[in-house]
Parts: sequence; C-alpha cells; structure tokens
Amino acid sequence: MARDDLLNLTIAQAAPRLERRELSPVELTEAMLQRIAAVNRRLNAYITVCEPQAREVARATEQIIRAGYYLGPLHGIPIALKDNIYTRGIRTTAGAKILADFVPGEDATVAARLKRAGAIIVGKTNMHEFAWGGTTDNPHYGTCRNPWNPERFPAGSSGGSGAAVAARTCLGALGTDTGGSIRLPSSVNGIVGIRPTIGRVSNHNVVPLAWTMDTVSPMTRTVEDCVTMFEVIAGYDPFDPHSAQVPLADYRAELGRGVRGLRIGLIRDYSLTHVQKAVGEAVRGAVKTLEAEGARVEEIAMPSIHGNISAQLTIESCEPSAYHQEWLRTRPGDYGEDVRTLLEMGELYLATHYIQAQRYRSVLRREFLEGFKQVDVFVTPTLPFTATPCGATEVVIENNQKEDMLSAIMQFTGVPSLAGLPALSLPVGFDPDGLPVGMQVIGRPFDEAGLFRLGHAYQAVTSWHTKSPAL
Amino acid sequence: MLPDKKEEPVTKETVERLCVLADLPLPPARRDALVAPLSGLIAAANELSRKMAEGGRRSVLPITRFPER
Repeated sequence: MARDDLLNLTIAQAAPRLERRELSPVELTEAMLQRIAAVNRRLNAYITVCEPQAREVARATEQIIRAGYYLGPLHGIPIALKDNIYTRGIRTTAGAKILADFVPGEDATVAARLKRAGAIIVGKTNMHEFAWGGTTDNPHYGTCRNPWNPERFPAGSSGGSGAAVAARTCLGALGTDTGGSIRLPSSVNGIVGIRPTIGRVSNHNVVPLAWTMDTVSPMTRTVEDCVTMFEVIAGYDPFDPHSAQVPLADYRAELGRGVRGLRIGLIRDYSLTHVQKAVGEAVRGAVKTLEAEGARVEEIAMPSIHGNISAQLTIESCEPSAYHQEWLRTRPGDYGEDVRTLLEMGELYLATHYIQAQRYRSVLRREFLEGFKQVDVFVTPTLPFTATPCGATEVVIENNQKEDMLSAIMQFTGVPSLAGLPALSLPVGFDPDGLPVGMQVIGRPFDEAGLFRLGHAYQAVTSWHTKSPAL
Repeated sequence: MLPDKKEEPVTKETVERLCVLADLPLPPARRDALVAPLSGLIAAANELSRKMAEGGRRSVLPITRFPER
C-alpha cells in the first residue's frame, strides 16, 4: 500500500488486512514512526517515541500472526499513550520535570490490557504538566500544537494524544479526562474521544490529577475505532478501588441500531448559550441531522447547572494540591509557573468550600437522573470556542469580551465530570478558519453504549471525521 | 440561609495568614501574585457555598465515590 493510504487507515480498515496478512504490522508501524519523525518537530505531540520497542514488537507480531495466532482487532495496531499512563520500562513523565526520570516497574492496567490485545505502543504523548490545565503548553517538553493550524493550541490536557491521532501518527491513543481533558483535545483536533463513567475504566497506575473525577479512555478518528479500544480497556479491575463491577454492554452490537426514537435533550439556557457563532451553528446542524435520522429533541430545564464551574475549579484545585503537597514544598521550582500557581491556590481553600462542591455534585447528578426520565442523552458543544492561538490565556467567545481560558474551557465538559456521567465528543463541523468543532453527548451512568450508538449513526451520514489536516 | 453580603476581597494579609495556616512558606512575591486569582475563585466558591447551605439542601450528601447504578 502507498504510504499515504497506510496513514489514513482506521483501525476498522487496518484490522482485517492485518488478520488476512495483506498488511504487515512492520509496514504499518514503520509508516507511523516515519510520520512521527516527519511531523513531531512541528507538533510536539510526543514526549517519548518508543521506536526500538515498537519495531521489535511489530516484528514479533508479524511472526505471531503468520503462525496463525491472531488476537483480535487491535493486534498489530500502532497506538499512543498519554504520558501519565505507566508503561513498564518506558519513562512516564506526566509532562513534568519532577517525573523526568521516572521509569515504572509495571504497566497501568489499561496499558497492560492493550498490550495483551496485541496493540503496538509507538510513543508517549505530550500533555499539560500533571494534567492540570487545558492547553498542553508544556514548559518542560515544549508547546504541543494543533495539526489543523500549528499556530493554534491542541487543548488539553491530553493535547498530545489529540494531535497525534489527528496527524495520523497512530491509529488511536489513550488520554485521561478529569474535567474535560479527553473531550477538549478531541474537539479542537477534529477526532472522537469518550470520557467513561467513573469506575468503568481502571485508573490503576495512572498519575492522578483529582481522584474523585479522574478517568482514562480512547481517542480515535471514528466512533467504531473508539469502541474497539474501549472494549479492551473497560471492565472491573481489583487494583482500582473506584472500579465498578457493572457488566459491560455489547458495544459493537449497539453501533448498528441507529437513532430512530432516541430522545435528545437540550438544556434550557445552557446547551447552546454563550458559544462562538460557528460552534453554535455546527452543533445545531448536527442536532438537525440526528432529527432527520429519526431522533426527537426536547428542551429540559436544569436549574442547578450554573454552579458547575466553581464546583469543578474547587475540586480540581483542592485534590491535586493534596497529591502534590510534598513536592510543592521540596521542589517548587520544578513546576511550570501556571501549575505551581494553581497548586498553591488549591492549598488555600477552606474545607467547607471543598465539601460544598462535593455536595453540589449530588444535586447536579440528581437533576440529570431526573432529566434522563424524559430523554436518553443530552447534547452540548464540547467547548464554546474553536482552537485559540498557542500561549493564549484568555479567549473571546462573544461580544468581544475577553474571558479567562481555564473557566471558559470547562463551560460544558465539567458538568458530566461532576455528575459522574459518560460523555462523548465527536466532530460536527469546522469554523470559517478551518478549525474543527466538536459536540458533546452526555449519557446515563454506564451507558457508554448509547453514546457510541448515537455517534456511529451520526458518522454514518456525515463526513467530518474523514477530513484530515494538511500538514 | 447565609446573608448574601458582598465579598470582601482576598488581600495580601489574608493570603499570608492562609499560607501560615496551611504551613505553606511562600515568598512575599508569590503570595502577592495569588491575591487577584484567588479573590475570584473564593468569591465563586462562597457563592456556591451559600446556595448549598440553603435549608432545603440540608439532607444532600457529598459524592466522592459514585454509586454503581
């Protein structure tokens, strides 16, 4: 196959070719490594490229498949992992100087499961330092850039994973999501990403940000590929005390069900409010497309939703500051300025602020569970704006008014994080500058299958996910 | 319900006292740099606290671990 054709393969397209031995895992991995070599200096999507390991595993994989031991749809598929996910024998920095030399002695559960399924890890991706931020403007490993326009940010904190997938340097990646860190980079890089229900995917051996909100999950170009990775990593893990013993759905079977009869909720005065014009138009267009496919749309009131940003900032400030308490006193100069400041501020909240924010989560969750009696999913934009210039700390959403980036970026993604609900981001258009727009779909607890069903139905009748950046 | 009074701004002195309470020894320049951003965050957190302290919400429990259903 021609190199460009190899780069554009999805997992669903590559897997049967690998199984039938029409495509060699060595050839596919080599194409990805060459692509990384060609674009990573511009994008800074990878902190560590696992070149020798990936080549060695690819050669072994070729032998194993040739011998008739095909393990399934991830066997021989080159993937990338965010650099806060432990990889045995490969350094795991979490984007931090403090962990620059940390080489774990064991894998994260998710890394081990992907390896057992035969995936080939080509590298560890760049991220916002310790996942505490949404820009991936990393002071230690370089500013990560958006493949659609390298002057723009890839969002974060899993910005490297988002850029790596969009730039065709791997067929899928894992990110982590506390307040939006998978969904935000999925949106601005024009790819698919899911935040699972808390407890659905193991956090074991993943460097934490905020224990009560952290999740791990895939970022891919299509919903179908997202399912392929999700099926492998989801499920109970005795090593993670938050892991849930809830049976997995038949995610693949759900993909063919379409959206006829599905009830979509828009949250009154919230879902399409305070967004850039192009973002609002793209999301309205996506909802119309789903209606044309047979979904019904209803507007639902959710009176408590407007406290969400404060609750998220409080929890996301206090929990990381507890985790970092010793390093903040012994190695303060080793943090980047933004993360150091956030960690310092997180120590200065009162206990009652933190507890009231955790109580707010109960109120918000109850309103969502009530809402789910009337609708099956809720829809919002993933973020209210498209990719901003790298280094920006403020953003204009409407009326030429500048807003603080950190608060503005979590306008929509913080809500499912607080309520413990799964949420999918998928590409639904572009702004006039050619920058991708994403839509967030929020589901019932543990109903990731319903999100995949909607996302796949949407991608079956649209082509946004097939566009690629001209790098 | 707590009185809906206007927020006192976080001051240099407030931050200095909080740092002592937290046993967080910060140089004066760093403490001063926290005043403005912390003012916004604490004002928002206090507003949320007022809402959550309302009588109708006394039975609400915090969530730190999510139920499986």
